[in-house]
Amino acid sequence: MRQKPRSAGGVLRWLLVVAAWSALAAALARAQAPAVEYAVKATDLYKFVPFVEWPPEALPPSDPLVICVVGRDRVSDLVDEAVNGQTSAGHPIRVVHGQSGSLRDAHCNILYVALRGAAAVDALDRVRGQPVLTVTDAAQEPRAAGVVNFVVIDNRVRFEIDQHAAAENHLVISSKLLSLAIRVTPRP
Amino acid sequence: MDAERRSFTTLPILGMDRTNFMPGVAAAGVLLLVLVGVVIVLYNEQAYRDAKTQQVEAQSRILASTVTAALAFDDRKAAQEAVNALAVDPQIRAAAVYDAHGDLFASYTGTGGPAVPKAVNDISPAAEREQLVVTTPVRQGSVAVGTIYVQTAIDPISRRFQRYVALTLLVTMAALIFVLLGFAQRRLTEVNERLRRQGEELSDVNENLRAQIEQRENVEATLRQVQKMEAMGQLTGGIAHDFNNLLQVIIGNLEVLRRRNLAPGDDAKRMVDAAIRGGQRAATLTQRLLAFARRQPLDPKPIDVNKLVAGMSELLHRTLGESITIETVLAGGIWRVAADANQLENALLNLAVNARDAMPDGGRLTIETANAHLDEAYADANEVKAGQYALIAVSDTGSGMPPDVVAKAFEPFFTTKDVGKGSGLGLSQVYGFIKQSGGHAKIYSELSQGTTIKLYLPRLTVAADAHDGTLDAAALPAGDRDRLVLVVEDDEDVRAHAVSILTELGYPVLEAVDGASALQLLEAHAEIRMLFTDVGLPGGLNGRQLADEARKRRPELFVLYTTGYARNAIVHQGRLDPGVELITKPFTFSSLATKVNAVFERRDGRGAQAH
Repeated sequence: MRQKPRSAGGVLRWLLVVAAWSALAAALARAQAPAVEYAVKATDLYKFVPFVEWPPEALPPSDPLVICVVGRDRVSDLVDEAVNGQTSAGHPIRVVHGQSGSLRDAHCNILYVALRGAAAVDALDRVRGQPVLTVTDAAQEPRAAGVVNFVVIDNRVRFEIDQHAAAENHLVISSKLLSLAIRVTPRP
Repeated sequence: MDAERRSFTTLPILGMDRTNFMPGVAAAGVLLLVLVGVVIVLYNEQAYRDAKTQQVEAQSRILASTVTAALAFDDRKAAQEAVNALAVDPQIRAAAVYDAHGDLFASYTGTGGPAVPKAVNDISPAAEREQLVVTTPVRQGSVAVGTIYVQTAIDPISRRFQRYVALTLLVTMAALIFVLLGFAQRRLTEVNERLRRQGEELSDVNENLRAQIEQRENVEATLRQVQKMEAMGQLTGGIAHDFNNLLQVIIGNLEVLRRRNLAPGDDAKRMVDAAIRGGQRAATLTQRLLAFARRQPLDPKPIDVNKLVAGMSELLHRTLGESITIETVLAGGIWRVAADANQLENALLNLAVNARDAMPDGGRLTIETANAHLDEAYADANEVKAGQYALIAVSDTGSGMPPDVVAKAFEPFFTTKDVGKGSGLGLSQVYGFIKQSGGHAKIYSELSQGTTIKLYLPRLTVAADAHDGTLDAAALPAGDRDRLVLVVEDDEDVRAHAVSILTELGYPVLEAVDGASALQLLEAHAEIRMLFTDVGLPGGLNGRQLADEARKRRPELFVLYTTGYARNAIVHQGRLDPGVELITKPFTFSSLATKVNAVFERRDGRGAQAH
């Protein structure tokens, strides 16, 4: 009679140890370690969807949402993996990797610019005025920054939002998202 | 009076029917009120809890939508700010945001609030009644991205119950009113009951009083009648007595005149005879007055009433004539009574004559005898002693009398006959005689049916000294020279009259005016054989006392009393003492002659008897 509870207690203790380890692993993963940083950014791309309002003709309901990626960096490499099988606000998500030149016909809803300098500016200019949420990573100069620009502060991924650019692209950014931005460039 | 009493006892008294009903209703009412109060409180409590839950849920949903972005982008700082915003509601004790994995993301703890659970799985429902735990999922579209946890304090019971104070007061007051009403009702019912009882008692007392008044009125009426008769008796008695003495003088002197000086056929003798007849009629009248006044000397003897009535039938036939049939119904075993037989015959004759006068066209006269018992109630109402009586009822089939005539029929000089036809003394004489004999007389009459007069004579229980009193004497017995008579009489005329009669009869006579001189004469003359004395004498000794005194010295002495009416001294309760000889004034020559002789003869025949 005394054996059974002891063995049950043993199992429980073993389970607790496993849980503790997995929790620790999760915590380690969520820590803004350099490797994790890019994964977070890749994930954030589709997480923006609920907080952004596209013009209806640009994103009819239940149409796939297209995330375009130009250039290549450590984030772009992870986008496919992060988005795989995800839906957001009823839209299945598709990732299209391409060149800046093909952007006009790509019908992008979100454009991640994995480019630097003039190339980035060029890519952004190509979709300027179109209903495309442009996202850049740690752009140094304002012209090279998209509507959303990732920055890393205190080892955490944060972002800036350019309301001016958003307005140019006929996008409305939710105040919820704005409240999370570390800097918001106001509308003109 | 009856109508008043009826309306009083049936006076409707409010609330009587609800005697036992009201307290139950009051209790039920109070219970219902309290129940309703409790239900309202419980309902309000639940409604308050529901409202509070909704409110907190709304708050948590707002928080949820606020922190979606923060959760999505793992911005703890923003989430923390959003959670901290809940501080504006002091009732929120703790709040937390958990991420999609269920791990704590941001938390807020109010002053004195509990520590928030470390993970969604640790969240337990509200431990106490005074707290409310709400969890709301945070959704991004259809995807759950986290959980909101809010724990609020709800108003402490004291605060909550403050809201029910008014209600509680209301319920309490209503309950109090109910209770008071119940008590008041009960009180009212009691008072009503008491009033009703008092009313009943009052009407009982009233009824009692009414009966007493009625009884008293009856008694007073009877008493008044008795007193009236008594007063009339006193009056007539007094007058008759004096008249008697005067008539004695008149008749006595007329007789002396007739006997001595007048030859038969003389005109003067005729006139004297007429005067004597008038005087005798006057004497008869005064006798009847005395009878009514119950002052006639009676000679009661044991009588068999049946025998007396039977003996009168011949006389009655002659008196009433052929047109009237006479029926006598005589009860067997009739009780003997003590009464003066002559007077009773007189009374019956009187009644028969009255009956005849009431039946001018003929009819039937019925004389019944029976034994009767008068009970206390009848006796009290009729001034007679209760007990056993022999009844003689004389009924006619005549015209009858109306009640007012019945009421006065026994009064002297009351008559319905024409002036000169009746003296108005017949029935009053009967009444006086019966009363004096200790009996009772009653008239029952119905107009055009007839009249019954009932005479009740007390049953004789003690065997009385019976001696046949046939006082009739055919011839006037002559006096005896050896029989010296002492006449004692204060009235000089009467004395002279008596002396003259006795002297004429042949008796030697001595005379005295009062007891003292009479005793002296008795001492001086041992040959005196008879004391003839008036009952009423001046100077300390009355006739009875004189006789007693004389008898002490001379036991063999004959005593004859005379009186206008018999006073108590000689007549006990209106009756002659057994053995006492009496001649009533006015006496005639022959009646005195007969009486004196009879006294001498009887005593001699039977041997002297000491009184």
